[in-house]
Amino acid sequence: MLLNLILFQQEAAPAAAESAKEAAKEGFNAGETIIEHVSNSSHEHPLLHLPHVFGIDFSVTKHVFMMWLVAAILFVVITWTVRRYLKQEQRLPTGLMNGLEAVVEFIRDSIALPNFGAKWVMTWTPLLLTLFFFILGANAIGLIPIFDVVAVLDHFVLHTGPESIFKQIIHGGTTATANFNVTAALATITFIAIIIAGAKAHGFVKHWKNIVPHGLHPLIYIILIPIEIMGMFVRPFALTMRLAANMTGGHIAILAILSFVFLFAEKLGGAAVGMGVGALVSVPMAAAISGLEIIVVLVQAYVFTLLTAVFIGMAIHAHH
Amino acid sequence: MGVLHYFGAAIGLGLIVIGAGLGIGKFAAAAAEGIARQPSAADKITGAVNLPLFLLEGVAILAEVFVLLIVLMK
Repeated sequence: MLLNLILFQQEAAPAAAESAKEAAKEGFNAGETIIEHVSNSSHEHPLLHLPHVFGIDFSVTKHVFMMWLVAAILFVVITWTVRRYLKQEQRLPTGLMNGLEAVVEFIRDSIALPNFGAKWVMTWTPLLLTLFFFILGANAIGLIPIFDVVAVLDHFVLHTGPESIFKQIIHGGTTATANFNVTAALATITFIAIIIAGAKAHGFVKHWKNIVPHGLHPLIYIILIPIEIMGMFVRPFALTMRLAANMTGGHIAILAILSFVFLFAEKLGGAAVGMGVGALVSVPMAAAISGLEIIVVLVQAYVFTLLTAVFIGMAIHAHH
Repeated sequence: MGVLHYFGAAIGLGLIVIGAGLGIGKFAAAAAEGIARQPSAADKITGAVNLPLFLLEGVAILAEVFVLLIVLMK
């Protein structure tokens, strides 16, 4: 908690440095600052220019970079842990492997097994684990204000040039999953997995016939089929928006409370008022909401995984 | 009357909060009552309550996103 407070004061500091320059021109624009801290870095100035392929711009923006970072961290940590465990003479899980095994067993036994049944649990658990760890990692890394520390370091210590990687990398938010394009990609994975699961379990044609229940009066099908097809698309859309909006909302709340420091300093004159408001109101409240945000991070990863499992299970066990 | 959409968004947001609060409150009440009647089924009840709880929260968040769209896109 103390580290959180220290890091938050460091998060406020570069915003202060930046807005000190702008205060000379136009004052503190809270809305603009908040939106800039949550959304992606600018598309015209990406971190790494890559060519357009079939009309799609593959340049690396902040969120793409964060996704790669999360993937790299997860890959290194998990592979290293499991390899070290497998090389032992007697397979005793210790330390990180113990925790990893507990999480994997929790997902397999309480999410995968009740929804898939024993026959399909080993087929689909890897997908659930991937989704869970990636979403958890991408959510959690947004809570660590490492790039604000980099900005402070760069501004006060390093003084790199205007085009350096330090100056470019601090724009934009760190939470990749706050971007609804990223969560839409994850929901597309779920959408395709549902179709593949139904096709594997019943055959491709029968999966589509299973979308509506059998043995009803023919006239009902006229309404039922469009509703079920709409449902097929609405569920991944809800997954997308749920994850993106939860992540964005938490960060906006924290940033808005921290903005009080600058708003009060501007309206009531003087940095002392701003610091007083900060110390008494902003930093404690922002720290408390960050604690809540940790819970939300865990819960949203769990809910995405659980709903994916439920939908895939519904496709597998479609013969009511 | 260029600010009318702000009123609409604010009233909508209030209604969303009322709806979500009532719904989740009913859920929590039913769950607590179930656990009070049969403490041994506490795990099962918690598991059964989990999923609809987050679906409902998802509905509330979805609605909040649409309200935000009203405010941001005139």
